[in-house]
Amino acid sequence: MFATKVLRQAAQHAERTPSIKFIGKRSIPSSVDHTPQPHPASPTHSLPSSFTSAASEQSSHHSFSTYRDHAQQFGPLRKTIKSGSAGIGGQSGFELGPVAPPTGIFFDRNELPARFRRAPISLAEIEAVETGGAAAFS
Amino acid sequence: MLSQRLLGRSAVRSAFKSSTLPSIATPAARWSRRTFATEAEEKDLVIIGGGVAGYVAAIKAGQEGMKVTCIEKRGTLGGTCLNVGCIPSKSLLNNSHLYHQVLHDTKHRGIEVGDVKLNLAQLMKAKDTSVAGLTKGVEFLFKKNGVEYIKGTGTFQDEHTIKVALNDGGETAVRGKNILIATGSEVSPFPGLEIDEKRVVSSTGAIALEKVPEKMLVIGGGIIGLEMASVWSRLGSQVTVVEFLDQIGGPGMDTEIAKATQKILKKQGMIFKTGTKVVSGDKSGEKVKLEVDSAKGGKPETLEADVVLVAIGRRPYTGNLGLENIGLELDERGRVIIDSEYRTKIPHIRCVGDVTFGPMLAHKAEEEAVAVVEYIKKGYGHVNYGCIPSVMYTFPEVAWVGQSEQDLKKAGVKYRIGTFPFSANSRAKTNLDTDGMVKMLADPETDRLLGIHIIGPNAGEMIAEGTLALEYGASAEDIARTCHAHPTLAEAFKEAAMATYSKAIHF
Repeated sequence: MFATKVLRQAAQHAERTPSIKFIGKRSIPSSVDHTPQPHPASPTHSLPSSFTSAASEQSSHHSFSTYRDHAQQFGPLRKTIKSGSAGIGGQSGFELGPVAPPTGIFFDRNELPARFRRAPISLAEIEAVETGGAAAFS
Repeated sequence: MLSQRLLGRSAVRSAFKSSTLPSIATPAARWSRRTFATEAEEKDLVIIGGGVAGYVAAIKAGQEGMKVTCIEKRGTLGGTCLNVGCIPSKSLLNNSHLYHQVLHDTKHRGIEVGDVKLNLAQLMKAKDTSVAGLTKGVEFLFKKNGVEYIKGTGTFQDEHTIKVALNDGGETAVRGKNILIATGSEVSPFPGLEIDEKRVVSSTGAIALEKVPEKMLVIGGGIIGLEMASVWSRLGSQVTVVEFLDQIGGPGMDTEIAKATQKILKKQGMIFKTGTKVVSGDKSGEKVKLEVDSAKGGKPETLEADVVLVAIGRRPYTGNLGLENIGLELDERGRVIIDSEYRTKIPHIRCVGDVTFGPMLAHKAEEEAVAVVEYIKKGYGHVNYGCIPSVMYTFPEVAWVGQSEQDLKKAGVKYRIGTFPFSANSRAKTNLDTDGMVKMLADPETDRLLGIHIIGPNAGEMIAEGTLALEYGASAEDIARTCHAHPTLAEAFKEAAMATYSKAIHF
């Protein structure tokens, strides 16, 4: 009995999982929130109001180029992280591959964005087609 | 190529104009402005300051393929750390320790030495050689990584342009898509006692004294004060350290370790006046006089010395930076206000190192420098402010990382302590250097490490293992179950971990 207990303990011991574990392959975050946050070593743990107001202050940009330097849209516009799941503009069109569907696969027109779908036909138009245009003059 | 061509063309134009029409000032002035605008190639990153923060960021940016310029006014790279801080002081600490050991600690080891003499000039030369070697090394790394190095004082002209007053005379300007402020810190002066770097010295003067002072007074018993006190005490000065707080080593040092340190340093001949404030100073006489009193008052005393070292701390340095030109404000202690990605309120202007938040440590600045370049280039970076080691290079060395016992008590966090003295460590015993101990603090429930405090030989190297463990969120048992070579000082580290979660073998 006692021996079994000791053996069990020993087995448990052998299977001890250290707190330091290899957590696997490094993964790069696909999106990072870049909104200004207080610095961790900041004594006040807060940011002055100028940090948030500067971003919304459009008048401070005297050219489109400087506006783009400051502009943020899902992170900074100019610094999109290059990775598989990158945001818009993260990969070049070439990298995205051909747009043609593989053989045997067909797109339905209704799956396309609205602007590529058939435009709705009005009743007046239907009648005009059916009457050869005569309905338009009745 | 294009910019070169433009530059050439406008240079010819302005030369033609100025020689043929010298009286027409307005167009010539306009053209010279135009030339100015076209000649400045916009860099990806312009760094103001070539200290540890600045030069590391410059090298990292170069490695990341960015076009980078680093502006430094000192004339040599490396900033305070390499030129007048960590590096020269370590040279003096090491060599003064050797001198002291040869003088006092050889007989019982079986070494008979003859007449031992100090050659202070040579000691200083050895220090200068180390410094010159390292600063030149950084310059080489700049070349290797394609960093443009401008020797001069940088001032913000606008949000993207830095005007540089060159050290060799003249002026230039650099434009940057991103700008990094890494101007570091300077010595905090003591009100009413002007630093002349001869009799009233800062750390800069304390590493370059021309003779060993008979008596030395150190205002401030923090790391810098105690390191310098050690150097001159070993070389023969009678050193008195005046500290306002009740403990030496600064507020970050664990109280138990600070007490042990004070005891050891006292044994080495240093005199301590803790809980004492300096009321005023007078250097008009032959000796420098300090009027001191107990921190609470009521015990006035006059102290005299040949040299007084002011080591009460450092303050951020933003002189001549022209922050007013871009509307950047500082906090109440003169630090540049930044967010978690080191951005100022103008997002493409970032700031790292001593001039902003956090402890004023070279290795913290290095970490930030790498992180800030990664934020610019990749959008993410990493610095763990809870895991920055501190080291005091006295003998024995004192090192710590994480939280101290008083921190945990104050925060109401429960903890378990494990200690191991070097007097029970085989290697320390064979080295006849048995002063000190390793102290570990861990969570009583999870066994996760909370803080590590070491006083002992080589503590500064040993703390690296503790920092790694803390960064990985290790438990004391993880360290205790990691095999450490025998006989090494590092075994004391392992045994302290064993003492924390169970029991040490050799104590």
